Amino acid sequence: MSESLSAIPSGVRYYFGSEAHLRRAVEHAAMSIFKAWSYEEITPPTVDYYSLFERGMGAVEAQDAFRFTDTDGKLLALRPDVTSGIARAAATLMAKRERPLRFSYAAPVFRLRAESHAEWRRESTQIGCELIGRNGCAADMEVLAIAVEILSYLGLNGSSTITINDLEVFNGIVGSLGLDATAQEELRELVDTHNAGDLERFLASYASTEECASFAQLVQLAGRSEVFENARRVITNERSVAALDRLEALWTVIDSLGLSAQFEVDLGDVSRLDYYTGILFKIYVAGVGMRVGSGGRYDQLTANFGKAEPAVGFVLDLDALAEAMRANESITKLGEVAEQTATLIMDEDPTALFREALRKREQGDRVLISPKPEVMP
Amino acid sequence: MIDLTIAIAKGRLQAEALALLGRAGLRLPDEAHLSRRLAIDDESGSYRFIFIKPADVPVYVEHGIADCGIVGRDVLLESEADLLQPLTLEIGRCRIVVAAPNGNLTDGFGMLRVATKYPRIAARHFVEHGQPVEIIELSGSVELAPVLDLADCIVDLVETGTTLRENGLQIVDVIAESSARFVVNRASYQLKAKFVSNLLDALRKANEDCKA
Repeated sequence: MSESLSAIPSGVRYYFGSEAHLRRAVEHAAMSIFKAWSYEEITPPTVDYYSLFERGMGAVEAQDAFRFTDTDGKLLALRPDVTSGIARAAATLMAKRERPLRFSYAAPVFRLRAESHAEWRRESTQIGCELIGRNGCAADMEVLAIAVEILSYLGLNGSSTITINDLEVFNGIVGSLGLDATAQEELRELVDTHNAGDLERFLASYASTEECASFAQLVQLAGRSEVFENARRVITNERSVAALDRLEALWTVIDSLGLSAQFEVDLGDVSRLDYYTGILFKIYVAGVGMRVGSGGRYDQLTANFGKAEPAVGFVLDLDALAEAMRANESITKLGEVAEQTATLIMDEDPTALFREALRKREQGDRVLISPKPEVMP
Repeated sequence: MIDLTIAIAKGRLQAEALALLGRAGLRLPDEAHLSRRLAIDDESGSYRFIFIKPADVPVYVEHGIADCGIVGRDVLLESEADLLQPLTLEIGRCRIVVAAPNGNLTDGFGMLRVATKYPRIAARHFVEHGQPVEIIELSGSVELAPVLDLADCIVDLVETGTTLRENGLQIVDVIAESSARFVVNRASYQLKAKFVSNLLDALRKANEDCKA
């Protein structure tokens, strides 16, 4: 049976024309901003040991990697994320380098299964940064400030919302319940989907009235400073309160910088408990049904590679950013080069043709080579 | 200016969902109940309603084409869509059950043939019980399958149980209680927080009245 030559696998696509150009321009803009914040560009290998991603992403997430075997039988994978490779490099290759380490990247990642139903792509480009070896509010704010600058440069700051949370608020409440792993995962899912009704029913058999009230607070709508007041009224365990303190300190900085209109506090965002350890955030832009980026603190990650140290970072999805820009008609200065009309260079004589072409290029003009004067249709 | 687009599951839930929205203060032109139009705005012009097949509601909401929707929990369990479910509604109550002729699953060790419109829910349920099954996916009249020996049992939605009884089937196991859910797209929940919050409050109140 012969396969159709036009067929391509599901989840991948061609990019060309203005779309390819926009993606390149967005990537370039983001990388320039990272560089301006003293982040060093790094590109980990596209193919790496599968075990790297099991350590870096966790066994369940890593299963989404395309896998194949090396000549010696070892299991390889097409990288499903970039952070794992960076974390390993930080803990091994760069173990002796002075901290903090600041890395940025723009690289394609590959997944066997798309991450959600609304997301069909299996190849996507991640743009992101990692700040390794520094803890606390200033480090968290540093990466958030970079995210805000990128959104702003792309003309998306007016239409975007960044939600922030600290997972320790949730962990603090759960810790006192003594749940097994299955029940904890069920509880996480109920909070993550803000499913107040089922949450109440679930908790009835486990929790005290006070704990129920604490949880009910988590699934309230996201908000601004009032979230802290409301939360503190019912959440009193030490671990959660410490997390609320950290989060509020960060909020105060955000607010003082005049950025709070773009931020919200969402205590019910508990999407990746196994990965993030403290603050986590999500980036949404109007016109795109999914989040365009996410990030947070993952202080356990480098420990998996033998050197425990704090780390915070975020990742933006290039296609989601490009879609957001189209939806918000913010394709402003990024599109200029492509829009410049080409000077048509025509000559029978190849020498004369290219002499003219090279001269035009030296002037910075766009050219289009056409060796023979063509008969117009 | 449309603030929110709301997807409503057609069929079983539609009338109850519209009545609930009406009690929450959203007024639809009367023709909405009759006409075949698939999209219609409320009288204030703030809300747009789209009427689609139940299984499509999670799809529209997950993609953010609709900001929110009203759909049965059965559909959500089957779709495994990543949505927020901030409100459990008092409408569309039913159960998802395993039913077999005379309430009898012949032997629990061999392969069981299961006819259903809900292949994922069914597969998940039997995996949890360690029961190997062959899932036979049908698109309607599932009760017929055991009668004609296409399957040993069915996994289906039950409201009153009349259809089951008429086909000589009895409930063997209840997989889940289902009722309608108000679901919201994750991005809309943050980006249109004010509108979502207003609608949620109104619906919550209408829903409480329903309960009482």
